[in-house]
Amino acid sequence: MAKTTPNSGRAGTRGAKSPAKRGFYIVILIVAVLGIGGLSYMATSPRAGANQWDSTLPKLTAMGHVEGSDSARLEVLEFADFECPVCGQFATLTEPDIRTHLIDSGVIRMRFMDFPLNIHRNTWNAHRAAWCAGDQGRFWQLHDVLFNQQDKWNGEATGNPDGVIADYAKALGLNMDQFNKCVSDRKYQAQLQANEQEAERRGINQTPTFVFGTKVVPGYLTYDQFKAEVEQALARQAGSGKQ
Amino acid sequence: MTWRMGLALVALCGLLIASYIALHDLGYIGTIACGTGGCETVQTSRWATFLGIKVAVWGVAYYLLVFALAMASTTASFADARWLPPAMVGLTGWGVAFSAWLTYLELFRIHAICRWCVGSAGVVTLLFVLALLDWRMARRLNSPGARTGP
Repeated sequence: MAKTTPNSGRAGTRGAKSPAKRGFYIVILIVAVLGIGGLSYMATSPRAGANQWDSTLPKLTAMGHVEGSDSARLEVLEFADFECPVCGQFATLTEPDIRTHLIDSGVIRMRFMDFPLNIHRNTWNAHRAAWCAGDQGRFWQLHDVLFNQQDKWNGEATGNPDGVIADYAKALGLNMDQFNKCVSDRKYQAQLQANEQEAERRGINQTPTFVFGTKVVPGYLTYDQFKAEVEQALARQAGSGKQ
Repeated sequence: MTWRMGLALVALCGLLIASYIALHDLGYIGTIACGTGGCETVQTSRWATFLGIKVAVWGVAYYLLVFALAMASTTASFADARWLPPAMVGLTGWGVAFSAWLTYLELFRIHAICRWCVGSAGVVTLLFVLALLDWRMARRLNSPGARTGP
């Protein structure tokens, strides 16, 4: 008679494997193979563009693109990544209201500071392209298109972001010879790296992050939240001016 | 399928979820598939690191341990190990507590929800339930009545 144990019914009989146990091992094997295969595919699929820090490039001072009047009462900094979905949400949902109510009325000016995160496959391509559009005075136009069309050129959508973004540049009426040369020469790579370094120096650790005067506010903001931060910053500014 | 087999299978699913997030955090996978966009916010927040190591990497190590123990428990060598069921309950209970803390951070501190983290919290809760069921069965089978039999 076979030796039985209290748990043998649950763990299966000792010695020869039961059909149920064989089936279990097969299921485990299938799940493991499919899972590891999927993860390997995602991890080894080709990455577009070299996003590594190039220490040979000349050092530059950080600066960003500004939208708004020089005489605005407050400058708000936005550290953002073109491939970050939350930044895209901010650009498409909140920013139009900010332009209408705060920038055009001269209350604030916005400074866009590049903070391309290396976790995003195509973001450096987008940042380089936006700066090249800036060469022809179209930074903000391409900025808006990039955020609006994020799902068309991001790392999940394409392995050729430069090609997709070039179509946007063409639609904006840019001089394509000049634009393509600027992109392929990586003309603004050093500038982008300086901006990225500035974000790290300031301890920024997520995108988007906003700076209202001296206050750093990370994460998505609705228009009302953004406006409240502006009002508080202006009040702080006025308070410190009186002293 | 026994509770222990279920534990192993669910732990393997948890291991794959944690590996996906960890590979993304370590820069091997470009964009994380997250319709709400909350994953990026969560993964780039300051709470994405615990004791200097990415939380997702801790998750991989945790699920690997649970999976290894669950697989071992299905073998004849560990079938009667009395320490195993309570150990699994303790281990998965700790996982539930840690996931609850992470979910609290997502809801009230980060203000963003990562669906993969929610998935992992669901997996660890299921593991806890399975571990409890397995422990209950082990106690019943190991009781004097069950040993003697009719």
